[in-house]
Amino acid sequence: MGMRRYIAKRVGHAALVIYFVATVVFIAVRSIPGDPARLMLGGDAPPEAIEALRQELRLDEPVYIQYFYWMRDILFGDLGESIFNNQPVLDLLIGVAGPTLSIGLVGMAIAFLIAIPAGIVSATRRYQVEDYLATLFSFIGISVPGFFIGILLILVFANRFEFLPAFGYVKPQEGLVTWFSHVILPALAVGVPYGGIIMRMTRSSMLEVLNEDYMRTARSKGLSPRLVLYKHGLQNALIPVVTVSGILFAVLLGGVVSVEIVFGIRGMGRLLINSINRRDFPVIQGGVILISIVFVFMNLLVDLVYTMINPKIKYGGGE
Amino acid sequence: MIESTDPLLRVRNLRTSFDTDRGVVSAVDGISFDIKPGEVYGVVGESGSGKSVTALSIMGLIDSPGVVEADAIEFRGEDISGYSDAEMRDIRGGNISMVFQDPMNSLNPVMTVGEQIAEVVRHHTPVGESAGFWRELSRKYVTGTDKESDSWQRAVELLDTVGIPDPKERATEYPHQLSGGMRQRVVIAQALAGDPDLIIADEPTTALDVSVEAQILNELLELADEFDVSVLLITHDLAVIRETCDRVAVMYAGELMETSNVQELFNNPQHPYTRGLLQSIPRITDDREWLDVIEGNVPDLINKPEGCPFQQRCNYSFDMCDKPLERHRVSDDHIARCHLHSPEVDTAAHDFDTEATGDRSITSGDSGIIADGNGGDDL
Repeated sequence: MGMRRYIAKRVGHAALVIYFVATVVFIAVRSIPGDPARLMLGGDAPPEAIEALRQELRLDEPVYIQYFYWMRDILFGDLGESIFNNQPVLDLLIGVAGPTLSIGLVGMAIAFLIAIPAGIVSATRRYQVEDYLATLFSFIGISVPGFFIGILLILVFANRFEFLPAFGYVKPQEGLVTWFSHVILPALAVGVPYGGIIMRMTRSSMLEVLNEDYMRTARSKGLSPRLVLYKHGLQNALIPVVTVSGILFAVLLGGVVSVEIVFGIRGMGRLLINSINRRDFPVIQGGVILISIVFVFMNLLVDLVYTMINPKIKYGGGE
Repeated sequence: MIESTDPLLRVRNLRTSFDTDRGVVSAVDGISFDIKPGEVYGVVGESGSGKSVTALSIMGLIDSPGVVEADAIEFRGEDISGYSDAEMRDIRGGNISMVFQDPMNSLNPVMTVGEQIAEVVRHHTPVGESAGFWRELSRKYVTGTDKESDSWQRAVELLDTVGIPDPKERATEYPHQLSGGMRQRVVIAQALAGDPDLIIADEPTTALDVSVEAQILNELLELADEFDVSVLLITHDLAVIRETCDRVAVMYAGELMETSNVQELFNNPQHPYTRGLLQSIPRITDDREWLDVIEGNVPDLINKPEGCPFQQRCNYSFDMCDKPLERHRVSDDHIARCHLHSPEVDTAAHDFDTEATGDRSITSGDSGIIADGNGGDDL
């Protein structure tokens, strides 16, 4: 199967996944107790006003009718308008995607840049100081929640050393350095737990590879230890790491929500939480769909990388 | 007995031990042997007898907690036992190369077979292509191996030599795309690529189908002959030894029990252990209902008994067996380490017929203790 057909097939799968996610979210959102019209107008609003709003929002129609209209709108790219402030959901989402993606991607990059070398060192110097240090840090990373790491980072880098901003987000168009200085701390806060897991994965995978027969073969050919490790070992060791990193991307996205709140960043997480509190159905639905699209896309990317580093896997075919 | 040519590999009193939680395991316990140029030398023994550890010890591939000691490991007259890892890297692949047991696992799954051969060519033969760390890494991850380069061309040539059809195409494939027999041919090509003097083949056909086993083995030995390479063939299969080797050493519990040229070992085995091994081979002419097996297990290598390691399983054991073993020359090219061959022991009294099994008798009364350091004496 060629790469193009493979991607087409995967995009088809992705569309199906997103459709299911959208449906589940639609149902879930309407199962939360609480009437958005009443929440918006306040407890002492007259019943007629509430009823008028319900009609305007099409909330008085049966759920399947609402679902039908919603699906139709989505197919035309219309995610609806916010119940809360009547802004188009798409505009709201585009507004918050920048900070969230910045934090997520920078966090992921930092995680890989630190965790993979640390995992390699940890495996090659097993039971030595470097291994114990790397293992300690990875366990701290895995067990301490991202938002708490965020608070610690603020205390150290923003309060104690007044070195980096503790609050807010600046678009990259307004200067890459200021953008990065605002993104680095929240990115670390989401990247550390992610990196902790990646590091453990790299370590155990590398330890396994070090015991493989082909590593001994490589040594028997007179290659230097460095060459044996990086030419013969690294790619094999990364195969399971790549698989897991795609799935773990969900962990990272989950971390972004709380970290945005700690750092006072108007991102996707904050928007979603606020919208849930306001029962702002269209925004919740749109937000979750966007997140699932990003997630599915990331995993597609991971699978493509996987076929690149594992010659046993051909696009779509078996071994 | 020994030709005037110096041995290619001369191993003296090789000891390899592993410090484990349970104690020190003596995997190889003081073995000595010589391999002559052009010779096929067999080492046979049960699993766990230390055959593979011997091979890895010679190659300098024993990792911590393993410790390798030897009075000498001389390769072409030079003692390599004290070589640093960097010095050993020139020997490995370039002078002594290895063929491992399982060709699926001994080839790297994410590298083309061509590159796995070509990198040996670059490291050990003067093709004038850099084999430095960064150059090799960029070949692996960025540029790929240049298909016009001499090392690649040589790899394709070697694939052709080992009998792989359509070698140009095959060179670009990965190990999983080849059959088991083809893979082992790739491993052999890889072992020949550095133009070595000695190939250590560690159970090279054990993981293969019976149908290709003999074929691969014959090809290996023909190529060794063609390339003028000596072979140290490690196997548990006496039939393989009989068909392929010039001389053979019988290994048991980390020690060599008997060495001899092949005909004499099969016709006139002089160690009770060797006799036991030979009797456990099924024969077409067998009228035995059960095979004769050697009862019991290999002794614990942590608390090895004093004296002969085979004494508990030996039908002939007597009061001398817990004394340290000595080398006894049975004939010119035949040595046994067994107290039955001590001059002061009357073998008849122990029911051990020194001329028992063979159809070719040897000149008796020749046995005597051989002094250490007597050049070229094995065990």
